[in-house]
Amino acid sequence: MAVKLGYTKVYRYPTGYPEWHAKGLPVDSAPAGLAEMASEPKEPGPLYGWAMIWTLLGIFVGGIALNLTPCIYPLIPITVSYFGGRSGLDQGKLLIHGACYVGGLSLTNSVLGIVAALTGALMGAILQNPVVLGVVAAILVFFATSLFGFWELRLPSGLMQAASKSYAGYFGTLFMGLTLGVVAAPCIGPFVLGLLAWVASMGSPWLGFVIFFTLSLGLSLPLFFLAIFSGQLEKLPRSGEWMLWVRKLMGWVLVGMATYFIRPVLPKSLGVFLFAVIAISAGLHLGWIDRTKPPFKAFQWIRRVVGLAGLVMAFIVIGSWLIRGPGVSWQTYSDELLIEARRLKKPVIIDFYADWCSPCLKLDKATFHDPEIVKQAGQDFIMIKVNLTRGGNPVYERLLRKYGIKGVPTIVFLDNQGKELPALRLVDFVPPNEFLTRMATAEKGPDTGL
Amino acid sequence: MVKVTRNVSLALVAMAIGVLALWLTNRAVTPKEATWEDAAREAKTGGYRLFTVEALRAPYEEGSTDLLLVDTRQEWEYRTGHIKGALNFPMEPTWLSRWRKRSSLAKLLGPDKDHLVVFY
Repeated sequence: MAVKLGYTKVYRYPTGYPEWHAKGLPVDSAPAGLAEMASEPKEPGPLYGWAMIWTLLGIFVGGIALNLTPCIYPLIPITVSYFGGRSGLDQGKLLIHGACYVGGLSLTNSVLGIVAALTGALMGAILQNPVVLGVVAAILVFFATSLFGFWELRLPSGLMQAASKSYAGYFGTLFMGLTLGVVAAPCIGPFVLGLLAWVASMGSPWLGFVIFFTLSLGLSLPLFFLAIFSGQLEKLPRSGEWMLWVRKLMGWVLVGMATYFIRPVLPKSLGVFLFAVIAISAGLHLGWIDRTKPPFKAFQWIRRVVGLAGLVMAFIVIGSWLIRGPGVSWQTYSDELLIEARRLKKPVIIDFYADWCSPCLKLDKATFHDPEIVKQAGQDFIMIKVNLTRGGNPVYERLLRKYGIKGVPTIVFLDNQGKELPALRLVDFVPPNEFLTRMATAEKGPDTGL
Repeated sequence: MVKVTRNVSLALVAMAIGVLALWLTNRAVTPKEATWEDAAREAKTGGYRLFTVEALRAPYEEGSTDLLLVDTRQEWEYRTGHIKGALNFPMEPTWLSRWRKRSSLAKLLGPDKDHLVVFY
């Protein structure tokens, strides 16, 4: 590459560092400098005028970009199902309905955002609480049954009558959006943690509200178009028959999302099993059991392909779970283990985790199964896991106080003297590469004066 | 009968896709130990030359300011130990990485096109 850039004297030294080091030639190491990895806190300042408008515009675009993440998936089928049932509305009314729906959604999300900003990290913990995850999963399955055709999605009649007659429809749609904001929240939450910190640092609930409202508007913009579109769908002649099949497909997507939410709460193998069962049943149902009359020839093929995709997915999920490589071998905590580590002059990594926390699971899946990390951990480190799923263990309580643990995941690095290296502490998922950097730093610990 | 054969062949196709996907995502990749000849061949296509440790030693120990050592390994590898004076420029051997880091490499190497650049 350097050659292409026009440099004339380009060389490569293929035997590289290992040979250089073996010959005793000058080498260096640079474990310090983690500072550049820590993000600089943004300057909190008042926003007004053009700066405000540009910021909000940026946040709006960011919200649209969030659609690339699976946050909005569960809402797509529900939107289609809800608006699909509202036939006979003219264009203008449909637009207002769409706006009400999206407005309601954004309102819930921004209120949740503000609460999160005001209460600090607490909200994040609540959103990962097993009960909340369970409720969200239940809502998703509930809507899925509607898509499967067991019942028709309608608002409680009491609510319709409570609002005045001419506005009943709009009020109902707004209410629908308000309720559904709860579904998207656990997913959006983790993505906007940075934004939350920023809002909290400005200390203005009003500004926080505006920011989150803009973000949610951007997030649900595609839903707005979807709402208008699906309201029209029913009017199309003879589209109904195969649309029923599409609705069932979306129902299965909802059930899949529900599994995704509930999985952190379940034991690991059960989660995999459940996911596989759902994929198989979805594949069989959509591909073979369902007897929707094919309106055109290709439909039969689409159906089979979707069915096969479900089966293949189940196969892959189970297969990759079965043949996964070895992970880091962890030890449970004891005071003797720490003393032993000091005697061996080995650095220690303590992982505080709980079964229901999704960043912990992700860490375990991606980072602690990385071959390089497994190798280094086995050779040079004492790896300790502290399971905080159930409280009440006095030894762990003491540990939490000792290290000032505020939540899970928290990963604490001790140098080979048993002293913590606070600069290395982790409280979120990190990819294997960054974790390796920290491990390398921990090994050099005492020399760096960290 | 025709229907049964078709369903069976579909199932076989599904199995094949599944096995292939599993193999692709989970196979153990053991990089081949590259020999000096491999490196020489790569250098020829890449249009650059090679240095042995002996050849590199001379300009290095002279302390020439003309020499620029670039460590292309990952950051954590660089942190654990590198040739003294080398700069870290993490590169993955993929075209995507080359394309993305083109301009920052130019900045790192500086405007003087004639100084000695050694990658490792």
